[in-house]
Amino acid sequence: MGLTADEFTIQFIATLVKFAIVAGLLLQIPPVMVWVERRVPAMMQRRKGPNRVGIFKWRIYGLMQSLADTIKLIFKEEVVPEGAQKAFYHLAPVFSVFPAFLIAMAIPYGPDIHAFGTTIPLSIIRVDVGFLFIFAVSSLAVYGVTIAGWASNNKYSLLGSLRASAQMISYEIPLGMSLIPIVLIYGTLDLNKIVEAQSHFWKWGVFLSPVSFLLFLIAMFAETNRAPFDLAEAEGELVAGFHTEYTSAKFAAFFLGEYVSMFVLSCLASTVFFGGWQVPFFSVQKLDDLTGFIGVSALIGHVTLMLKATFFMWLYIWVRWTIPRFRYDQLMSLGWKYMIPLGLVNVVVTAVVIAAFRFS
Amino acid sequence: MPDFSLLMTHGVFHLFAALITLCSVLVVMSKHPVKSAVFLVVDLFLLAGLYATLDSHFVAAIQVLVYAGAIVVLFLFVIMLLNLQPEQLRGLKFSAVEAGTLVISLVGFLITVVATFKGDQTGLGDGSLDPVAIEAAGGNTYVVAMKLLTNYIWPFELASVLILMAIVAAVVIAKKDKKKTSAPIS
Repeated sequence: MGLTADEFTIQFIATLVKFAIVAGLLLQIPPVMVWVERRVPAMMQRRKGPNRVGIFKWRIYGLMQSLADTIKLIFKEEVVPEGAQKAFYHLAPVFSVFPAFLIAMAIPYGPDIHAFGTTIPLSIIRVDVGFLFIFAVSSLAVYGVTIAGWASNNKYSLLGSLRASAQMISYEIPLGMSLIPIVLIYGTLDLNKIVEAQSHFWKWGVFLSPVSFLLFLIAMFAETNRAPFDLAEAEGELVAGFHTEYTSAKFAAFFLGEYVSMFVLSCLASTVFFGGWQVPFFSVQKLDDLTGFIGVSALIGHVTLMLKATFFMWLYIWVRWTIPRFRYDQLMSLGWKYMIPLGLVNVVVTAVVIAAFRFS
Repeated sequence: MPDFSLLMTHGVFHLFAALITLCSVLVVMSKHPVKSAVFLVVDLFLLAGLYATLDSHFVAAIQVLVYAGAIVVLFLFVIMLLNLQPEQLRGLKFSAVEAGTLVISLVGFLITVVATFKGDQTGLGDGSLDPVAIEAAGGNTYVVAMKLLTNYIWPFELASVLILMAIVAAVVIAKKDKKKTSAPIS
C-alpha cells in the first residue's frame, strides 16, 4: 500500500514484536486471574485463600499456586467421552480461544510511535472499521460453546451450550446497540480515532453517553458468561455446562478463552468510555517531546490503558462475589424486554440531540 | 526492488483462494450436516479475508458479522436440535410447483437487481478503486453509507420489509404445524 521496501521491513518487524508482546500478555492473564479470583473472595469472606505454595521458603502470597495449577492441568490424564464427535470435540477449544485472541489484535494499546521515519500504530491490526471488526469476530465466539456442548455427547453439556449460546446471541444485540451512540458522537468506526477524540476529560464516552455505558457494562458480563449471568455453568443444575466433559489442557483452553475475552472487553470498555490510553487532564502525546525519548508516550499510554482494564477485571470478580445468579427467564426478559428497548431509545435520543446541535 | 507489500497481497490472495475452494468442496462433500456447517463458517470467514485484501474492510466485517456470526449459527442450531441422520436427508425432494416458483423468483430477483444497479458509478469518481482513491472519498464506510442511504434508500427499505415478511411467514408456518400435532391431545 504505497510503502517503500525499508518502511515495509520496519512495519513487518514492528508487527512481529507487537504480536509477541500482546500474545505474551494475554497468556499471562489466566494464571494471574485465577490467583486473584481465589484471593480476593477470600479477603471478602475473611478467609485466607491459597497462600502456601511458593518457591522454597518464599511464599509471595501464594502466587505460585497458579503455576502449580497450570502444571497440574497440563499433565492430567485426558479423557475423551464415549460416543463423542471426535474431530469437533478436539476443535471446540480452538474455536473458543481463537476469536478472543483475534479481537485483542484490534485494540489500540497506546499512541502511535513516530520513529525510523515512519508511524508505528500500537495495535496489531489497524483498520478503519475497528468497531465492526470486533463485533464480527466476537460473534464467532458462540461456535466454541455450541460445538463443545454438542460434540461431548452429554445432555448436561448440550443444555449448557444451548443456554450459553442463546444468551450470547441475545446479549450481542444490546452490546452492539450500546455502542451506536458512541459512533454517532465521535463520527468514526476507528477505535484509535475515538481515543484521540477523548483527549479532554469531560469528552470521555462515559460522560457523553452514560446510558450506553450502563448497557455495555451489563452486556459485557453476559457476553463473557460471568456471574451474575453464568447460567451456562450453573453447577447446581448443569454440572459445569458446556465444558463438563473436558479434561486437562482442553479444559484449561476454555479458561484461557474466557479470561482473554474478559480482558479484551475490559480493554474495549476503557477504550470507548474511559479515554483508552489518555491520561486525564494531561496530553500523553507531548511526552516524547518533553522528555526527548521516543516511546515514552507509548509506554505511559499503555500503562494507563492497562490500569483502566485492570479495574474492570477486578470489577468482574467484585460483582461475582456480590450479586447472586439470575434465573434463566429473568436473564432473557432483562435482555429482550428492558435492555434492547432502552438501547433503541438511547440511539434515537442521541441521534436527535446530535442533529439538533448540528442544524441549530 | 520488488514491491514487498504487493507481493504479500498476491501470496495471501492465492492462499485464501485455495483454502476457500477446498472448504467449499468440503461443504458439499461432507456426509455430516454439522461438518458442512462448520466448513461453511470457515469458508465465509476466509472470504472476508479476501475482501480485506481488496481493502474493502467494511464489506469484510459485515460478511463475518452477518453470515458467519448470525446466519450459520442458526443453521447449526437447527441441525443440532433436529439431529438429522445422513440417511434421513435423502428423502428431501421438491415438487415441480415448488421448484418452479423457486427458479422464477430467483431469476426475477436477478433481473430486478441488474435493472436497478445497471450503469451505476462506484461513488469514487472515475472507477478507480485503489486505497488512495477510497481514502480520498472519505473511506469505505462513508462511501457505502452515502450510496445506500441516498440513491438506494427505497430498495434498502424494501429489503427490510421483505425480511420482515419472511419472519412472519416462518412463524405462521411453524404455528400451523403445531396446531395439527397438538389437536389430538385436546
